[in-house]
Amino acid sequence: MMRSGAQAARDARRKFALLLLFGSTAGVASADDASFIAPADLAKASGAEIYSHVCQGCHMPEAQGAAGAGAYPKLAANPQLASWEYVALTVVRGRGGMPAFGRRGEEPFAFLNARLDDEEIARVVNYVRSHFGNRYKKTVTASEVAKLLHPGAAAAR
Amino acid sequence: MQDDSNSPAMSRRALLRMVGAAAGGATMYQAMSSLGLAADSPYRGPIDLQGAPRGASVLILGAGIAGMTAAYELRNAGYRVEVLEYNARAGGRNWTLRGGDTYTELGGYSQECRFDQDLYINPGPWRIPYHHRGILAYAKHFGVPLEAFVQVNYNAYIHSRDAFGGKPQRYREIKADYHGHVAELLAKATSQNALDRAVSKEDQEKLLESLRQWGALDKSYAYAANDLSSRRRGYQKEPGGGSSARPIPSTPIGLSALLQSDMWKSIPSGDEFDMQTALFQPVGGMGRIGEAFARELGPVIHYNAKVTDIHQDDRGVTVRYEDTRTPGAVRTSRADWCVCTIPLAILAQIPMNVEPVLRAAISAVSYASAVKIGLQFKRRFWEEDEEIYGGITYTDLPIFNIAYPSSGYQSGGKGVLLGGYVFGLAGMEFTAMTPADRVRKAVEYGAQIHPQYLREFDNGIAVAWHRAPFTMGCFGMWSEEARADHYEDLCRIDNRIALAGEHASYINGWQEGAVVSALDAIGRLHRRAVAQGVA
Repeated sequence: MMRSGAQAARDARRKFALLLLFGSTAGVASADDASFIAPADLAKASGAEIYSHVCQGCHMPEAQGAAGAGAYPKLAANPQLASWEYVALTVVRGRGGMPAFGRRGEEPFAFLNARLDDEEIARVVNYVRSHFGNRYKKTVTASEVAKLLHPGAAAAR
Repeated sequence: MQDDSNSPAMSRRALLRMVGAAAGGATMYQAMSSLGLAADSPYRGPIDLQGAPRGASVLILGAGIAGMTAAYELRNAGYRVEVLEYNARAGGRNWTLRGGDTYTELGGYSQECRFDQDLYINPGPWRIPYHHRGILAYAKHFGVPLEAFVQVNYNAYIHSRDAFGGKPQRYREIKADYHGHVAELLAKATSQNALDRAVSKEDQEKLLESLRQWGALDKSYAYAANDLSSRRRGYQKEPGGGSSARPIPSTPIGLSALLQSDMWKSIPSGDEFDMQTALFQPVGGMGRIGEAFARELGPVIHYNAKVTDIHQDDRGVTVRYEDTRTPGAVRTSRADWCVCTIPLAILAQIPMNVEPVLRAAISAVSYASAVKIGLQFKRRFWEEDEEIYGGITYTDLPIFNIAYPSSGYQSGGKGVLLGGYVFGLAGMEFTAMTPADRVRKAVEYGAQIHPQYLREFDNGIAVAWHRAPFTMGCFGMWSEEARADHYEDLCRIDNRIALAGEHASYINGWQEGAVVSALDAIGRLHRRAVAQGVA
């Protein structure tokens, strides 16, 4: 599962250049402020926490969505959530302007983005499918999420 | 005076080499080669569009910088143009919030800007590098006055909650000390013949000489508390006049403490091609450029128009839209051609009969999360108490940075600074808050750097780009694979529709990307129109 040396060098170069461009390291959040989670601590975050920290900005506090020139779909009582694969794949691969949270490998904008591992994706998918008026029984596992095609996976091999 | 003319190039190279060593990766070494090689703007002067077919028309979607560049040039070339804009104002992300403005974001959260006269915040672009020739040319053309934007301020801070007991350090101290220590180490390595295989004896002499100059080393190649180092990092007691004028040198931070602080990460903040001096800002706010475009275009821009459908046939393009003030009533506009600058996050949701490859390209780009928070204070304490005039303080707190205004220096009365410019996960977290909470958090965290915050804070306003109804994100983020698979498809004209905007450029997140993308698109569209003759 090793990337080629040249690829790794290219990735490191881009990442570093972009770090300089934005002039700061991605924020390491305060341990005593529940408003912020350090990226490494997402591993300990519940589905509800991942939703409120990562998803809520667009999909809104009650998962009601929002509409302007375009719209963020409401997740509340949304029949499309019946398919766990649809939901998980959307989180993994993104949709429209939505970021691909399951992106693997290095990428230029990684530090501008948030990433979720398969376990975290499973947790947040289970959370939205069992809250906000959704009552789907199926509990998605990290290994099921892992089987979905992740963007950047080819480069990561 | 020392001749420092070679210092910047040398410092960057040496710095990167040491960063590479610190990171333990030979890969970082190669980061060097990518710096200074960033893409140059292709703008080479006014576009020449001759021979527009008589009566030909172009419908432009979006009155941001890309859309208005297209409209302005096409109209000048003789096309009949109409611009449909979702907002009640022109400019798009070129936007300045001033006292009296109101802004309602997605979710219905409304804010009123309560800044004093002449104070403002630029929620979107806020600086223009000297080599962004296109946007600079339009600012000049429209008579928008510019002033210097201070990117690097040696007296601003680098701050880390875990380093030096949370006490902010001046940029000049961190930079001087890092360079000084690195120079001393390299000088030692050279003197101990550790570089013999890499550097010839002849070059080693020059290297030592350059290290002494670059790092402010003394005669024995040591970086120490003396006048040499204090001339870089500042004095404990500054030189004065008359009696008791003798300066007292300051003491450099030790190498280990400096390395462990991670503060060296912020040293190259002005070394990127996009961040190198000179940078500019329009006097009175970035929005002056969009406002100037809008004045030029006048009634050509149709505001409050939410595009709902884009349909092309063999002879033209029909766009359906809704007047946002009277929802439900569908209107249509039609033209021979269409330049669509609608951000891709929104365009992905609008029905449009184009080739599947273009549809796929539109959906392949995600949008960056970014939040900016403007804070008004009762006085300019950063100038009065701390001698910080413009520039940026960097911190590892969730606000990421504090940027001081590059205008109105030493003016009495209130002042507005950028209390946070946040992206990534923390950006999403700030986005999730109510605007009032964002401001509250920015004040809370900023007070760890400037304790005056708590006493002097007046009011604030916060813009989270994912909640901006007209963009739904800050700018287009191309992954490497998406760029390879879809970029050319995105830029290719689909029958009668051409896309433009920063997303259709390699200068993502900059106004220059919007300008050069628009000029490129209308150039190709024009050639196609000329080839087809009268519509």
